[in-house]
Amino acid sequence: MSTLRRVAIVGGVRTPFCRSGTLYADLSNLDMMSTALQGLVDRFELNGTHIDEVVGGAVVSHAKDWNLAREALLRTRLSPSTPGITLTQACGTSLQAALGIAAKIATGQIDSGIATGSDTTSDPPIVFTKKFAQRLATLTKQKTMMDKLRVFKGFSPGELAPQPPATAEPQTGLGMGQHCELMAKAWDVGRQEQDQLAFESHRKAAAAYAEGFLDDLLVPCAGVFKDNNLREDIRIEKLAELKTAFDKSEAGTLTAANSTPLTDGAGAVLLCSEDWARERGLKVQAYLAHGQHVGNDFVAGEGLLMAPTLAVAKLLKRSGLTFADFDYFEIHEAFAAQVLATLKAWEDDAYCRERLGWDGALGPIDRTKMNVKGSSIAFGHPFAATGARILGGLSKLIDANGGGRGLISVCTAGGMGVAAILEGAEAA
Amino acid sequence: MSETTPHALTDTTSLDLKDWRLEVDVEKIAWATFDRENESANALGRRPIEEFGRIIDFVEKAGSEGAVVGLALLSGKPKSFIVGADINEFAFLDTEAKVLDGVQPVNALLDRVEAMTVPVVAAIHGPCVGGGLELILACHYRVGTRDEKTKLGFPEVKLGIFPGFNGTARSIRQCGAVPAMQAMLTGSMIRASKARAQGFLDRLVDNPGQLRWAARKAILRKSKSKKAGGFKGLMAQWPARGFLASKMRSETAKKVREAHYPAPFRLIDLFEKHGGSYAAMKAQEPKAFAPLMVSETSRNLRRVFFLSEALKNEAPKGLNWKPLRVHVIGAGTMGADIAGWCVASGMEVTLQDLSPEQIETGIKAQGKLFKKRFKTKPLQAAAKARLIPDPEGTGLARADVVIEAIVEKLEIKQALFKDIETKLKLGAVMASNTSSLQIEDIAEPLNDPGRLIGIHFFNPVAQMPLVEIVRGGQSRDSEVEKGAAFVNAIGKYPLIVKSVPGFLVNRVLAPYMMGAMGRVDAGEDKEKIDEAARAFGMPMGPIELADTVGLDVCANVGQILGLQNAVEGAGRLVEGGKLGKKTGEGFYVWKDGKPVKTAEKPFAKRELETLGRELVEPLIGEAQKVLDEGVVRDADLVDAGVIFGTGFAPFRGGPLHFKSTEAEGGPPSSTSSPQTTQSAQAAE
Repeated sequence: MSTLRRVAIVGGVRTPFCRSGTLYADLSNLDMMSTALQGLVDRFELNGTHIDEVVGGAVVSHAKDWNLAREALLRTRLSPSTPGITLTQACGTSLQAALGIAAKIATGQIDSGIATGSDTTSDPPIVFTKKFAQRLATLTKQKTMMDKLRVFKGFSPGELAPQPPATAEPQTGLGMGQHCELMAKAWDVGRQEQDQLAFESHRKAAAAYAEGFLDDLLVPCAGVFKDNNLREDIRIEKLAELKTAFDKSEAGTLTAANSTPLTDGAGAVLLCSEDWARERGLKVQAYLAHGQHVGNDFVAGEGLLMAPTLAVAKLLKRSGLTFADFDYFEIHEAFAAQVLATLKAWEDDAYCRERLGWDGALGPIDRTKMNVKGSSIAFGHPFAATGARILGGLSKLIDANGGGRGLISVCTAGGMGVAAILEGAEAA
Repeated sequence: MSETTPHALTDTTSLDLKDWRLEVDVEKIAWATFDRENESANALGRRPIEEFGRIIDFVEKAGSEGAVVGLALLSGKPKSFIVGADINEFAFLDTEAKVLDGVQPVNALLDRVEAMTVPVVAAIHGPCVGGGLELILACHYRVGTRDEKTKLGFPEVKLGIFPGFNGTARSIRQCGAVPAMQAMLTGSMIRASKARAQGFLDRLVDNPGQLRWAARKAILRKSKSKKAGGFKGLMAQWPARGFLASKMRSETAKKVREAHYPAPFRLIDLFEKHGGSYAAMKAQEPKAFAPLMVSETSRNLRRVFFLSEALKNEAPKGLNWKPLRVHVIGAGTMGADIAGWCVASGMEVTLQDLSPEQIETGIKAQGKLFKKRFKTKPLQAAAKARLIPDPEGTGLARADVVIEAIVEKLEIKQALFKDIETKLKLGAVMASNTSSLQIEDIAEPLNDPGRLIGIHFFNPVAQMPLVEIVRGGQSRDSEVEKGAAFVNAIGKYPLIVKSVPGFLVNRVLAPYMMGAMGRVDAGEDKEKIDEAARAFGMPMGPIELADTVGLDVCANVGQILGLQNAVEGAGRLVEGGKLGKKTGEGFYVWKDGKPVKTAEKPFAKRELETLGRELVEPLIGEAQKVLDEGVVRDADLVDAGVIFGTGFAPFRGGPLHFKSTEAEGGPPSSTSSPQTTQSAQAAE
């Protein structure tokens, strides 16, 4: 391999996001992912086109969707020769998919790829208890009626209790909100600053809508044109009145409004080599320059959603950049407290020295450059789709700005952080 | 696609197929794909039927020799299955004998399909209607996609006929008398899930990719569709059949007059006499069908179908522009209803008005439409979310189409467009819904006057199929074309008209209504006038129509056309605040949304006929003037505009057509040939 190729981002689209159980109540991940993919196909005129791979997945997924990405692309007008890979990395899924595609494009293994993600908690996979499932599996192997009956020896009706998907961390048994509540306490993140961040997220997202920034990023789905979590009329006083959601004691600070709700939706981003884009007359919006993911030891007590601090530190070290080199910061807002704890950690000398191995604090980031078009608290957060949303939005932002550099940081369940750097043409 | 075997018997090249493809796969399943050459949709014309006959010959022989185990029918068109018989060819069937000669071989062919010893399975995605539905009913099993595009139906009544390929007998046998007759009498489209429930389809799959495999499974398992039995089957037998027939007759009579639209009544007669026996129904169907097919009514209704296609073609094909967002300024009845209709057509609409209360009222009024249009709660909620109150006009800059529907005052409209023209997105359509002002005048102060067009909707928006696209003297062609494309996108018929007072529809209606009102002034019975117009075939009498539209609105239109003071009686009513339906009294007293009429007056039929003809004369005369002045491109478009804009008796084929056939002393020997290069279809 002589040199690495630049990885172009042509653009992204997503369905509008909807709070679970509302406007997408009748849809599945397959429906939404294929809608997002077809939206991308329509936008960039890819009917009948072979794409070297479609990579993505869903966090809350049915066993029957064992290769969701392939099934979804088969329902679009992409050429059926396009292979599909399903992977998940919780909330980092579609960003991770893009990083994998980017690596293959850079090394010349592929020329084009689509990173995608979808999630719905409106269509949850409900399974039987393990014991009952084992009986059913055994049942299919039995030949005689007596053998079949024997399978149910010792059966108790309790085995039939349906098992919904768990939203808690398997290792700790705590939900995301409970973990984030711990982080808020550890980093002394107050209620008011969380509410303020949530407020700003909605205001910025509403402004982005009003100016039409989102129009070509959204593909209507099931008659929906707009994220239904977004509140244009949000008032900071109203936010302050809400009860806490996870820690109901005096000490709790996280509310339904400064946390992301369960959300349904899907997104997709087209990546390719510069040659591939040129051959098709597609304009490159931005380049995916660097990526990094890493986990932390939350099981031993580190903050579950603090891993992005590590991923970003590694990424900066490798790229030789500092916060001052960035025009945009896309810090995914799983919870306002998680964003604020992350920012505080980067500003904390001791943490950065001991945990990140830096000489001192990475420094503050310019908050006016952060999530300038709103983020997950306003739009909602269908786990696997969020990376695609951020990639599409930031690429467009860089393109509209005529260049620049943006940092993406996404926290995930399971104590991981995924980060990436996007650049305009001249920055590289 | 499937693997084809090299076996000699499976060499299908000798069949010389152009509109079909036939291949036999490794499992000996024959796949017949209907894919008409040089057409965007599959209509069952003469050639495709002949080729299908050769396919059946082949499969019969190969089946008996064990070389083929089944036949699957697919469509090669991505969006539709079979859109019906080829209406272009109907014109040649001008005698009953020719009709009988035409259907006989098709019916014999379908009998052979039904009698095939190997399974015949149809796999349907997209619309399958008319003759297409008759064809699949002769198959042994039917698989369809659970997709909103997949719709079945018998639209034949809309062409003045009923199914003539033994579809009457087969649908009743398959689904039972009630759903089958309902489908044939109303001509309405049936969604896939309902078609499955009624028995038209046997199995549903989620997407087109699965169709082939479901068809394969049905063939290998020799699946047979279950015919309507039990209670459903009983409905076709006495005494239920007699009861049903009379019930259908009275229901149909509520909608159409037998004298104008005989087809549904002949179908009910056929069912009443022979519906109990499959064989008799099959044998008698052609005899009842043939006279309808050659009737003037059917000829004219076919003409109306072609006219509707001509209207759709007002927008150029392949325009790479898809309107998604609409901004409506003015939330009065018209503005709000336009907004609601666009939302119901899947678009997002921002509705602007100076008064937030007016916006709220306007939005609330759309609830009924959304409930009717969308069947599930999420879809209804999504529709509501797409209709956005926008007192500040923030949607303006993002809209693909901006429609103004504010007060009819020139200066106000001029100021509005002057203000907004710089705020619009590049390429967005800028239109006024004005009915009384000149587009040229409104555009006068603009920086880019060529951008302004008129998009003139009729009230009530949801019911009126026509929308006039007004080409001002200053309007650019590209904007007019986009306007027409937008109207197509919301499922209405666009008619491009020159910017003259009253455009086309109001202009031809006004002298007709004024004339009728003048007769009332002269002492004629208003109820007799209305009844005469209805007997002629108008959907509503002119006096009742005037009351419905509002006498103030009529006066206003009259003024625009320079007809003011023509009607004294109406003037007095307006002065007295009696504006018609909306105030509870006009010419009629209105109760519960209906005019109070004296019970059944015995008007002489001949008298009504004469009066009816006299009543429409001003309309016909004005239509001729409209043509002479070139308000629309040609005579067919005049007829199209008048039929879809005023409801002018469709079975008469339009005012100019009616006049010319009348002058010839009867129906013309052949209808004007359709100008469409596209194959015409029975499906809508």
